[in-house]
Amino acid sequence: MKTIKSLSIIWIVLSVICTSAFAQKINKDIVDFKLKNVDGNFVSLISFPDAKGFIIVFTCNHCPFAKLYPPRLNNLNNKFKPLGVPLIAISSTDTMMYEEDTYPNMVIKANEEHFNFPYLFDEMQVVAKNFKAQKTPHAYVIWKENKQWVVKYNGAIDDNGMEPEKVTETYVSNAVNELLTNQPIKTSETKSIGCQIAFRKK
Amino acid sequence: MVKNWVFFLVLIAVINKNIYSQNIQILKFDALKQCIYNNSDTVYVVNFFASWCKPCLLEIPEFVTFDKGIKNSKIKLLYVSLDIKNDQEKLLKIVQQYSLQNVYLLDESNANNWINKIDKHWSGAIPATLIVKKGKYKKFIADAISSQTLFKLIK
Repeated sequence: MKTIKSLSIIWIVLSVICTSAFAQKINKDIVDFKLKNVDGNFVSLISFPDAKGFIIVFTCNHCPFAKLYPPRLNNLNNKFKPLGVPLIAISSTDTMMYEEDTYPNMVIKANEEHFNFPYLFDEMQVVAKNFKAQKTPHAYVIWKENKQWVVKYNGAIDDNGMEPEKVTETYVSNAVNELLTNQPIKTSETKSIGCQIAFRKK
Repeated sequence: MVKNWVFFLVLIAVINKNIYSQNIQILKFDALKQCIYNNSDTVYVVNFFASWCKPCLLEIPEFVTFDKGIKNSKIKLLYVSLDIKNDQEKLLKIVQQYSLQNVYLLDESNANNWINKIDKHWSGAIPATLIVKKGKYKKFIADAISSQTLFKLIK
């Protein structure tokens, strides 16, 4: 009986440790930021006081994988901004390495692709570090919980970059729909190939 | 005489085309997996790269040096390109420039299906290098790597 009791204590302790580790991995707190948009204005999460959540996409101009997504980003913002989940794109690439990703080139890109969402310049790469974004494109769905921003999904936008017509899993869209309808998130993390966000060494 | 020259030039063009088309093989992830996890006593060093990835290109000379050092050994270097399948022009130029051997282009549309099978901590950012010894996982480096480090890691 004593063994059973101690075993169950160990089991409880272990399960608490496991769940908290897991929770920490998914529900990472996000700090608000203030970054320059391509229209010259500064944008923060607080700029959208009615937002329930956000789709944050780390992207850039130069990356061939990022280049596949602008129409899909416009569609996501069209669909979810009216439902209280706007999309914000952020470029954190080292512009010393990629001339194509400088602020003036971001402005050109946003105009060419008719971006209907903010495209922000994370010059100091602090926002990418806070999100632990590693590549472009790298999407996050964050949600407001107890006045805090919590990461609910991170990874690919969908399961086929090259051939949009062959997409079967719209990961970001699914996650937002699940959050809007108070359902558990089926897929909270996916992996994808992208261009590494090279963090400048200080 | 002119006819001979034309024939000669055509022949060279055909040979060249064959050489370069031979240099890049398109394969699926399962085929790659079977190739590197095959229980032989060969050590496989697999470099994941792409022609659009600047840090990958900066790293290539290190692999070229490494490749020279492993001649006639049971170590095999594979380059696995994550380039877009219908845009191979830049990749071909790089293969040509460095005379790379054993170059494969991974033909997978959803990386979420295979990235975790390489290493569960890998985010999918490249360059990245996998070392497999006797069909068993040995080391995964999710960053650029020098030839010296490569020589140390295969020991």
